[in-house]
Amino acid sequence: MAQRFPTSVRNLEDLLHRMTNRIRQSLELPEILEATADEMRVFLKTDRVKIYQFHPDGSGEVVAEAINQQRLPSLLGQRFPAADIPMQARELFLKLRQRSIVNVATQEIGISPLLTSSEKESLLSDQFTALSFRSVDPCHVEYLTAMGVRASLVVPILYRHRLWGLLVAHHSLPKRFGNKELEIVQLIADQVTVAISHANLLQLTRLQGKHESIINQTVSYLYSSAKDPLKRALWHVTNALQCVGGRLYLFNPDSNTKGRLIITGKQPAGKQILEQHSAWRVWLRQESSNQVMANLWAISDIKQAQLLPIISEALTRADIRSVLVAKLVHQNQFLGYLSLFRQSVDVETVWAGQLDDSDSRQQRPRQSFEAWHEMKKEQSREWLPREVGLAQDLVDRFSSVIYQTQLYQKVQRLNADLEQRVLQRTAELNKINQTLTQEISERERTLEALHVARDSLKRLSHQNELILNAAGEGIYGIDPKGKIVFSNPAAASLLGYKKEELTGCFMHDLLRHTNAHGRAYRWRQSPIFKTLRHGQTHHVTGDLFQKRDGAQFPVEYVSTSIQEQGKIIGAVIVFQDITERQIVDAMKDEFIAVVSHELRTPLTSIRAALGLLAQNRVEIPAQQQRRMIEIASSNTNRLVRLVSDILDVERLKLGKTVLNKQPCDLSVLLAQAVDEMRAMAEKYGVNLEVSPLRIQLYADPDKIIQTIGNLLSNAIKFSPRNSTVDISAQQIKRSGFAQIETLLSEAGKQAVAEGLKAHPSLLLIAITDAGQGIPADKLEAIFDQFEQLNTSDGEHQGGTGLGLAICRSIVRRHGGEIWAQSQIGKGSTFFFTLPISVEIKNVLNDQAKATKETL
Amino acid sequence: MMATKRILMVDDDADIREATQLCLEITGQWEVLMAGNGPEGLAIAQLEQPNVILLDMMLPGMDGMTILKKLRENPDTQKIPIVILTAKAQASEKRSFDQLKVAAVITKPYDPLTISDQIASALPA
Repeated sequence: MAQRFPTSVRNLEDLLHRMTNRIRQSLELPEILEATADEMRVFLKTDRVKIYQFHPDGSGEVVAEAINQQRLPSLLGQRFPAADIPMQARELFLKLRQRSIVNVATQEIGISPLLTSSEKESLLSDQFTALSFRSVDPCHVEYLTAMGVRASLVVPILYRHRLWGLLVAHHSLPKRFGNKELEIVQLIADQVTVAISHANLLQLTRLQGKHESIINQTVSYLYSSAKDPLKRALWHVTNALQCVGGRLYLFNPDSNTKGRLIITGKQPAGKQILEQHSAWRVWLRQESSNQVMANLWAISDIKQAQLLPIISEALTRADIRSVLVAKLVHQNQFLGYLSLFRQSVDVETVWAGQLDDSDSRQQRPRQSFEAWHEMKKEQSREWLPREVGLAQDLVDRFSSVIYQTQLYQKVQRLNADLEQRVLQRTAELNKINQTLTQEISERERTLEALHVARDSLKRLSHQNELILNAAGEGIYGIDPKGKIVFSNPAAASLLGYKKEELTGCFMHDLLRHTNAHGRAYRWRQSPIFKTLRHGQTHHVTGDLFQKRDGAQFPVEYVSTSIQEQGKIIGAVIVFQDITERQIVDAMKDEFIAVVSHELRTPLTSIRAALGLLAQNRVEIPAQQQRRMIEIASSNTNRLVRLVSDILDVERLKLGKTVLNKQPCDLSVLLAQAVDEMRAMAEKYGVNLEVSPLRIQLYADPDKIIQTIGNLLSNAIKFSPRNSTVDISAQQIKRSGFAQIETLLSEAGKQAVAEGLKAHPSLLLIAITDAGQGIPADKLEAIFDQFEQLNTSDGEHQGGTGLGLAICRSIVRRHGGEIWAQSQIGKGSTFFFTLPISVEIKNVLNDQAKATKETL
Repeated sequence: MMATKRILMVDDDADIREATQLCLEITGQWEVLMAGNGPEGLAIAQLEQPNVILLDMMLPGMDGMTILKKLRENPDTQKIPIVILTAKAQASEKRSFDQLKVAAVITKPYDPLTISDQIASALPA
């Protein structure tokens, strides 16, 4: 790379031009510096040109060098301690931009400050200030001599108001550098400054690029969908920052002890998570000296830091020397810590000559500049500002991602939670809805059932009311105290009250409830009370109730308790007036008694007569035997008549006898009846006189003949000998009523009038005897069953006592009426009517017509 | 041989009177006096002083109860034992006879072979 340039000073401008170009052609500082040293050595014709760069600690290093044919040894890469160029000298270089030319032979030094200490500005324009020479410091001379240097030229290189380094030309032989050379070198130094500026800019740009690439890579890891992106990103960051290990502690807001730890590479010793330890936070609070940023601590050497034992031990045991801790905060939210660890390193430094620590450097300059390799073991590596900046940038990304992740997870959780809650709530709502639906339908069912029940209740209560109203029986309900709660119209009317009057009355007193024997019950002894008290149903016949007017009447009642859930809450009494029934019953009893008596009477004769005939203990005379046979026979006939009459009456009364009605001629019926009675009439010596009437009627001929026969039989029986029984018949129309009216008794008039109301015309039949007559009070009674008239001698007439009852039944069933009129001592007349209705007449007319035609 | 006992029978039914008379005469050797109605019966009882009166209850005109009452009222007849011979055989009717303090009550139709003994056994010895 060495290029040959013309050495002539004339070509100074060429040189400057060339150098400028070379500097501009390259952006690589070492290359530029190398070129600069080369060109400068050629131009100055010196043995060695070196570019010396200061380190921040004041020591320096040869960073570029050009040597002429080994005339001087190479110092490239060698370090010079700070003491070699003392602080005062460095300050002069900086502040006055002092340049110096040393001539070892003459032991003089030419100094040319570019600026004055008082007026920096004024001197800037006048660059070429004359050199001022003075004697050089013997130490300096000795130093240079030891280096083998006879002449030197030094120009400071300033960069951004700092002493960057020195541009130094050495020559092994005495050489005189003039002002001109000095100015040229100054120009070159200025160019170097520009180059440094460019190079720095480049380096900065590169670093920036690298920085950004690391960030980009990290971010891409952070956002990658691969497994455990945080761990991969952490690993990348650890590598990028040349660390041996890194860890990420993710704080769990819910619990300090549940934080998550992600690690890569070397880790502090011990199982305990340091970040969870209170010492960690205490330490970070106290560690302000190493707090390089708001949330970032960079401890280059933990041995120098004031660490709490628990932390320092954990780190030291793991050979960790440097720690960088960043508190992850995003949006004011603490997320955790990112820590990076470095181990100590061994540092090799090539010194220009071995340093003798025992010697005072001030006292004696070094005699040898032989390269000396110094090895410093277990050195801590400093966290450079750019590294810290990079770390901060990376930490920011981590924070951002972690925050987002947490936020995302939180949102996810919230979402999930929300979904869960929505599901839960939906399920609950569904359940509620279901329950509600069920309830509603149940309610509807209930309501429907209620409606139905209400309707049926209504119907029932209506029916009940109808039943109550329609019932012939008296019905009333009482409460446990015997007070009436409800009653039906029949009950009210049977008792002679209005329904409303009964409500609330104490029934026992109101009814004066009396037993069948006429003794009034005490309330507590009455069957109704027992029903109320014990719930028994009582069915009582014959007790007496009292009406409003005080009249008592026999009743049959049933008292039933009303129970609700086993408790008696009242009673219902159903009663009926049995007055009629008792009468009927009495009549029945009477009838049976009478029938029994009537049957026993002929049987007595028959049994006695036959009994005597049948016995063989005592001989009975033949005449008496004959009498007994006659008695038995006649009483048997009587018994037969009686039985058939009883049956007749009963049949007629019960309507079991069917009338065999047919058109017939009254005169025929009369004739037949009279014929049947003629024998009897002869026996009694009574004449029968019939006034025949040819009239058609519609009737049961046998029954009519039976009726006339009965009446004739009675008439004959009660007629004196040689008297006459008259039988007559006549038709009575409504218009003709007045003509016969006078003949009739009150009962007769009424009967005829009634008959004519119902029918346009009547047939009136009369049977008259000349007997002793019937007392007025018996005229009606004789039509009752077994009612018989006393004869004058009190003898029984042999009748059954049923004949007139039978007659009345037959006549009435034909729509007619029968009655008797009598005058005591003169005789009696029995009348009966038979209706002749229009229909009958028509039937008769038709029949008459038909008869005529056949004739 | 004990004296002939006399019995008065009061009954409105002629056939019953005739059959009973024969019955009592044959089976019990009674001397039978007869009446067809109450007044006649009372008169005979007063006049003849029978040993016992056989009285029907159901009589037209004066009924048996009245005859009984009148017999008891009359000092001449009040001591004569009375046997009721009746066709009223209902339980309720029978009960009412018990209160009359009569010697016996015989129901129609009676057993013709034992009636005499029935009457005799009812009488004081």
